[in-house]
Amino acid sequence: MTARPVVKRLVKRKGLFAGFKGNVDAITLGLKYLVDPKRFTLIYPNEYIKLDPGYRGFIVLHKEKCINCSSCARICPAAAMRMIKRQEQDPKTGKVKMKLWPVINYQRCIFCGYCVDVCPTEALYTVPYHDIVYENMAEMDWGLETFTRPPEHPVEKEGGIPVKYIVDEERGLVKVKAEGEEGD
Amino acid sequence: MDVVKLILDIIFYPPIYQLLLIGLVGSLVVVIFILWFERKATARVQRRLGPYHVAPRVAGFPQLVADLVRYAFQEVIIPRTVDAGIFILAPIVATILSILPIAVVPLTSNPGYWPVPMDYSVLVALAISTVSPIFLILAGWASNNKFSIIGGVREAFVITAYELIAILSILAASATVLSFNFVDVVEAQSRIWFIILNPLAFLAAFLAVLMATSGFPFEIPESENEVVAGPFTEYSGLLYGLNMGAAYMKRFALSILMALAFLGGWAPYTPGEGILSGYLIPSIIVIAKATVLMMAFSFTRSVYGRFRLDQALDGAWRLVFPMAILGFGLALLEAYLGVV
Amino acid sequence: MSVWVYGEQKSDLKIEGAIARRIAEDLYEVFIGPQHPGSGHMRIIIRVDGDIIVDADPDMGYVHRTMEKLSEGREWIKNIPLFERMAIHDACNVTVSYVIALERILGIEPPPRARYLRTLLCEINRIAAHLYGFGIFGVFMGHSTMYMWSFADREVMVELAEKLTGARLTHSYPIPGGARRDLPQDFPDQARKAVRYFRRRLEEYRKIFLDNPVMRSRMEGVGVIPKKVAAELGVVGPVARASGIKYDARLAEPYDAYDEVEFEVPVFEEGDALARAWVKFEEIKQSLRIIEQAVDWLEKHQREAPMHPKFWERSPPLWKKVFEAEGRVKLLPLMANLKLPPGKAMARSETARGEIVYYVESDGKTTPYRVRIVSPSARNAIVFKYIVPGYRVMDLPTIYGSIDYFPPEADR
Repeated sequence: MTARPVVKRLVKRKGLFAGFKGNVDAITLGLKYLVDPKRFTLIYPNEYIKLDPGYRGFIVLHKEKCINCSSCARICPAAAMRMIKRQEQDPKTGKVKMKLWPVINYQRCIFCGYCVDVCPTEALYTVPYHDIVYENMAEMDWGLETFTRPPEHPVEKEGGIPVKYIVDEERGLVKVKAEGEEGD
Repeated sequence: MDVVKLILDIIFYPPIYQLLLIGLVGSLVVVIFILWFERKATARVQRRLGPYHVAPRVAGFPQLVADLVRYAFQEVIIPRTVDAGIFILAPIVATILSILPIAVVPLTSNPGYWPVPMDYSVLVALAISTVSPIFLILAGWASNNKFSIIGGVREAFVITAYELIAILSILAASATVLSFNFVDVVEAQSRIWFIILNPLAFLAAFLAVLMATSGFPFEIPESENEVVAGPFTEYSGLLYGLNMGAAYMKRFALSILMALAFLGGWAPYTPGEGILSGYLIPSIIVIAKATVLMMAFSFTRSVYGRFRLDQALDGAWRLVFPMAILGFGLALLEAYLGVV
Repeated sequence: MSVWVYGEQKSDLKIEGAIARRIAEDLYEVFIGPQHPGSGHMRIIIRVDGDIIVDADPDMGYVHRTMEKLSEGREWIKNIPLFERMAIHDACNVTVSYVIALERILGIEPPPRARYLRTLLCEINRIAAHLYGFGIFGVFMGHSTMYMWSFADREVMVELAEKLTGARLTHSYPIPGGARRDLPQDFPDQARKAVRYFRRRLEEYRKIFLDNPVMRSRMEGVGVIPKKVAAELGVVGPVARASGIKYDARLAEPYDAYDEVEFEVPVFEEGDALARAWVKFEEIKQSLRIIEQAVDWLEKHQREAPMHPKFWERSPPLWKKVFEAEGRVKLLPLMANLKLPPGKAMARSETARGEIVYYVESDGKTTPYRVRIVSPSARNAIVFKYIVPGYRVMDLPTIYGSIDYFPPEADR
């Protein structure tokens, strides 16, 4: 086994002026940050984080890929996804058939992404944002039409500046402007 | 022209000028600035932005004004179980008393602009500054709430320990010049400030004022995590705002006393005749020095946490009190040697 | 002179178990919580004699959500997002032992790559949770800078976790048989940068908080739990390790990749709040080491699906295509109605606050027969009862913060 417990001891404070160095260190450090704060605050409505494509945001349906298998509804841990019956005309045969389609209720969704991962045809995909506010609960229960197109991203629409955070050795995180590549 | 002169005379009539203009309006402006500075400085140390959205162009400077407006329009709830009279009166009286010391100190050496005879002004100012905590304790007691009473008792402990030290160490300055007259104290510093001559007393006074005016995180009486808001637990709206403001106003008043006693008052400047040179400029210098002191007070917030009550008292009686005594001794020694 | 509290002399009524307690009349009973800035979602009833607490009574259960019962009505893997909600900022550590228990019942062992990925996320979570604890600890003692700093730096770890899993907090990352995503391309580089950043940053934490004379005097000698008492109370995690007990679930029963990576388990013997803070502080350093090793291992070894062959080999080609393109491990639809063979399993893992134990029993259905969770906070809450008395009122937040008590986890 390569892990091992190591008994350590606290450094004891000794002497009359033991606290002096601690005080000086703390105040110096405070002053250092007063001069150079190294902050990375996101000024949210004016800026927004352009998240990676892998981010588990709102879930949207590619209707043409869906094979009506109900896997997503069965795996949903929060029972947010459910199947509704809808008459659909088959494009090939022209027959009208009753089919099951998934719809999602965002009051319940916990964004675990199980449905996206379980879909056998990749008919579900996530958009990399989740900061959408609804005025009432009913709006959050998406119908099939809403579910098939990506929701509007309000911050982006209102002209927020997309930024990205990258890990930096000196400052922890650095806020950089996201490059112009437009997400589709 | 006479009208202008009349108005100026009224404005610069020392009691009005010092009590209303500096005491009330000035301290409000300084407190707004200091709170903004405190928030901004702390935010910088803590890698935050601080107040911003109130007015992004001036870095959120009017944040406190917005807060005050909120307090002013908030409903004042007076619970049924409180002693209503004292409950309402205590924060008001405490606020008035905490700015009152400003009205009895000289802000110039020109005798025409002294609000009161200055012979015992050090004593009088210090005496007035000690009255306001009683009303905070009263506020806690009148609230009839466990947290308030614990907070009030804590206030009493802390005040007893640290006000004494503050008084003693400010009196050290007056011991050096062998006079209770603030003007003498300031005039004696025209060559060398008492902060250099008597750093012990200054340090003791600094710590004592820091603790006695209980700003975050030295607000042992209203330490949030055990006693919610201490004496002010039951307060809401404007009365709560007054309570909070009173602490800062008291800090401002004591900072002015410290600026006069240790930082040379209007020192580099020699007040002359007339309103401008005899009163306005020296008083602004004193306020500027007090503000710098308050900025130093504010900065400690971002570095330190809260003392424990017993540790604070222990520190007061075992460390800061001897320091103040030593400072006083040093002052007497300097007076004996005739350093100034 | 004494009075009865909790009803009038209930012992006269011969009601067994009814609490009636005689306390001195000059004691002051203070209710800390549940709606109190210093308590979180729990109530501590303390009785104070002057400034000294003579009796403390932790009153838990304000955020009880019947998780054990809820889990009995849900399919096996649906419980993973549920159990995450116990300690949402420590999601992987809390759920990984549940997943291990399921794997034991299934009789499968995840592939090495999945084990390393889980270990990586566990350690990222551990650092984030320790920083969270430090932040709360700091603000409990009025040190707002520690609060803001640790929450800001926690963001670095949350950012890493988001790159790895796609979610900031509720990762739902481990899954029976493996893990849900592979490393993104730029992850190793970013993780190494973060490790180097933290190494430097921890020194500053020490200066402003642990060695700050004011904070140090607040913590030193407060809430001392002697080794013997710690063993008797059954405390776990950093609380036990600060009292000299060399116990860590990662040592006692290495899971995932913990028997392959090299790390130390810091143990202190003082048993006070300061020692507990130092344990966490040293643990962050060790977690950084583990992250480095895990990232090195993952980068060195060939990219393959972190999923047990039992599930992966049955997968259609699309599964492999998605994994190649996005590094995302798709789940088989059978996962939703996964049937576990009848059996029992127990698994434990070391969360940031201590050991969490899952006992899982299956009767061959798609839902658990019984899941029993013993969470570290529930075991550490006893400290309030036995250690807090004798200290001052202002020590209560210090002790609270130092044992890093987390009500949602304790109440579950």
